[in-house]
Amino acid sequence: MAIIHLQVNKQVVTKDVPDQTLLIELLRETLGLTGTHTGCDTTQCGCCVVLVDGVSVKSCTVLAVGVQGCQVTTVEGLADGTNLHPIQTAFMEHHALQCGFCTPGMMMSALDLIQRHPQPLTPEVVRSEMEGNLCRCTGYHNIVKAIVSASEKMHAANPASLAP
Amino acid sequence: MNSKFELPQVSAKPSDLIQGISLKAVGQPLKRKEDLRLITGQGRFTDDFSLPNQTWAWMVRSPYPHARILRIDKHSALALPGVLGVFTGTDCSADGLKAIDHSPVPSTKYDVKLRGPGDTPVFVGRHVLLPTDKARFVGEAVAMVVAQTREQARLAAEAVSVEYEELPWVADTEQAAAPDAPRVWDDLPTNVLVDATFGNQEATAKAFQEAAHVVNMKTRINRVTGVPLEPRAALGNYDPSTQSFTLYAGSGGAVRQKRELAQVLGVDAEKVRVLSFDVGGNFGTRNRAFVEFGLVMWASKKLGVPVKFRAERTESFLSDYQGRDLITEVSLAMDAHGKFLAMKAHNLSNVGYCCVSLSPLSKGSGLISGSYDIPYAVLRSRAVYSNTMATQAFRSSGRPEVIFAIERLIDKAAHQTGMDRIELRRKNLIKPSQMPYTNPVGSTYDSGEYEINMDRALAIADWSGIEDRRAQAKLRGKLLGVGMANYVESSIGSPKERADVIVHEKHIEVIIGTQPAGQGHETSFAQVTADLLEVSFDQVFITLGDTDIVTAGGGTHSGRSLRHASTVIALAAIDLKAKARQILAHHLKAPLESIDFIHGKFVHHSSHTQLSWFELFQVAQTADLPAELQGGLKIRRDNEMHTPVFPNGTCLCEIEIDPQTGGIEIKNYVAVDDVGRCINPLIVHGQTHGGIAHGVGQALWEQCLTEPDSGQPLIGSLMDYAMPRFDNLPSFKAEIAEVLSPTNPFGIKAGGEGGTTPALAVIASAVEDALLPLCGPVEIPMPITPVKIWTALQKAQKN
Repeated sequence: MAIIHLQVNKQVVTKDVPDQTLLIELLRETLGLTGTHTGCDTTQCGCCVVLVDGVSVKSCTVLAVGVQGCQVTTVEGLADGTNLHPIQTAFMEHHALQCGFCTPGMMMSALDLIQRHPQPLTPEVVRSEMEGNLCRCTGYHNIVKAIVSASEKMHAANPASLAP
Repeated sequence: MNSKFELPQVSAKPSDLIQGISLKAVGQPLKRKEDLRLITGQGRFTDDFSLPNQTWAWMVRSPYPHARILRIDKHSALALPGVLGVFTGTDCSADGLKAIDHSPVPSTKYDVKLRGPGDTPVFVGRHVLLPTDKARFVGEAVAMVVAQTREQARLAAEAVSVEYEELPWVADTEQAAAPDAPRVWDDLPTNVLVDATFGNQEATAKAFQEAAHVVNMKTRINRVTGVPLEPRAALGNYDPSTQSFTLYAGSGGAVRQKRELAQVLGVDAEKVRVLSFDVGGNFGTRNRAFVEFGLVMWASKKLGVPVKFRAERTESFLSDYQGRDLITEVSLAMDAHGKFLAMKAHNLSNVGYCCVSLSPLSKGSGLISGSYDIPYAVLRSRAVYSNTMATQAFRSSGRPEVIFAIERLIDKAAHQTGMDRIELRRKNLIKPSQMPYTNPVGSTYDSGEYEINMDRALAIADWSGIEDRRAQAKLRGKLLGVGMANYVESSIGSPKERADVIVHEKHIEVIIGTQPAGQGHETSFAQVTADLLEVSFDQVFITLGDTDIVTAGGGTHSGRSLRHASTVIALAAIDLKAKARQILAHHLKAPLESIDFIHGKFVHHSSHTQLSWFELFQVAQTADLPAELQGGLKIRRDNEMHTPVFPNGTCLCEIEIDPQTGGIEIKNYVAVDDVGRCINPLIVHGQTHGGIAHGVGQALWEQCLTEPDSGQPLIGSLMDYAMPRFDNLPSFKAEIAEVLSPTNPFGIKAGGEGGTTPALAVIASAVEDALLPLCGPVEIPMPITPVKIWTALQKAQKN
């Protein structure tokens, strides 16, 4: 067992967990944050992506003890109360989700991508960079549109800092 | 109230049911009601549910394609920490658990009638939860371990010792059909479970004799799997105080699962409650019950605790229902001018180790002549068992297979005769004046403007500029190819649907028995309801997926949902308005005829009364009403509708091949789809995009490959099973055509599967076109991988 301290969606968390506990297990089973999903167990589908200190991470392949002292952001931490984050609004407006299972991981990866690029994204960059996230419903068409649109809005609103 | 809703009543048209309704929400690209919970992490997928004292199940799976189970030793496993039980097929039998009855033979009067060899009933095997005699495919569950944690259950499953006697096996479709093949079921003399012939043999033979040209082709439609991103999962709980079971399990229809699983457990259907809320992708994969669904409920009863199961991705690859796997041999007879005279087809479907659905074979059988006027046809449909996971309907069940066959055959005919492939199609397309058109195997197409679709797609794809682009691509060292395919498909599906429409204080609720997995029913059904009742879209909410609330319903498959839902809701709306007028008439002590429904209000002119639905709700709560009007402002309506519809369209695709590597890039993808009335274009386009991805995926990357020497599946993870990704698909140019179907009130066809249906053919057609200058006409088997293209190019260079 190991005692870990971290922040999840700006809340301080201290838990005593078995050593082999994965970050996704901590989030879903210990903290009840079921918005982050397990799709493949093997770091290939991207349904489990969360931000750790602002960087996208596949939480199915990270031990909970490995995020000791870190700030973790999950899909539940994106909206500010009832005010949706621009990435959420863009996914809704562009019908970038159907079943919605890949969507949380997709949005978290997209946020990292937007933050890493000083200019609004092009569809080509999105298609190349998002390759680690799979969607089986949309054929990606509308997700590309949503991410490009969110990047434009986020850059226009606050080019200096894009932290969620 | 029950009603059968069928077209041929004197002078009555289905569209009369919505006469006078002004369409405000219908047709608009409204944002989805589902999205808010899904983008904020508040979705309700199966694994999101947990119950107090929940335990975990893990399956012990067969490593052999075919093996007799000699002995299962539980002792070591039972001694491990946290283990609560180890269960085998013998335990299931001892408790009287029955095999799952999938009713796999399609039985509506519009389905072709599939029969066993020699016109016998079809033998469908026994889909037991855990087998007692033999394992019949790699990955079949032969025992279940339940422990306090998932990790404990996983470790204990490794400690279960199963002694097998390996048996001869067969996985390949054609080999399985051979008379001397190892038999999957001893109940049958061979593995062939269906052998039926349809059409006019005499006229077809005569047409082939008189034909100027005969074109033959044999092709294989590769086996694929659905890969819904939510792994299949189940949480079962038994309540001894009520002797009832609860199952949380995403599927394609909770009502069906409830009925079938109650039979398995040997209890009345009302003793089983199934909850299926958000479903993380289906595509047909989840339309039949999985053995784990029954097992977790049964184990919960035995152990007195809730039992949960969640498949690993590897287990999903091994034991999710798979799709396609058809070998088709087709021949086309033409006269000297290119007019099609007749066709012959012989389809052989691999159903896997037991038969859960013959829908793919049946659906395809009804559409072998595609979009073309072919007077005569003969079709022999066969299905065969093999030592592989069972196949099921996969997105656009059976139709991509037959459209592939007819469209590739036409391309081949064009090459063989030197005719233009567009003009050859144009000459033979069914004309609007021929609708309703009965094809040579008896399917009657409802409506469609096939040539208009084709010309529209050709214009969007800039067909006339191809040769210029081909020349430019050549300068860049690339081989440009353009593929094209027309398609027609059938939407049939379960014929019964029920809607409860309930007026509440501030909103209207519709309870219905379809089961979306991303298709947006909560949105499009609300659009329909809003217009029918003349309320705003925001005031309507749809309830789905809990069998304690949803009492009947046909689920979601075969593009049936919106057509069935809109029809039964239209009928319910009429009933509800009638009931509402009666309530107000009674309340005002006014004659019924004096109550009108105008712009969403119930109006009684002489007393200057104008009440909205919600004001009338209050009246219904408080007024002193006769018994038949009591119980609130709500209505239940059942409907049965058998008549199929036939979505159709045209698809074009432009690719470039790099001859150095065989790599393919899709440059342009155009789809024109006649979906009948489009309720929400945002959703329909999304469905088209996703459907295209499934079809392109099958054509270029996807394959459930079995190692020929060992019978071992070679797909174990997303590293082995190549799929559509962000960087290998283009953006699409999809346009909607709306030729209203005369068969239902709103004129709906279907929009969920048209993207997939022509995609296999169009990709193969494009590859062939690109390689034509160097290789001549070639048919590269799917999936058309770079190495196969490169090999074809090398071979051509040598010759």
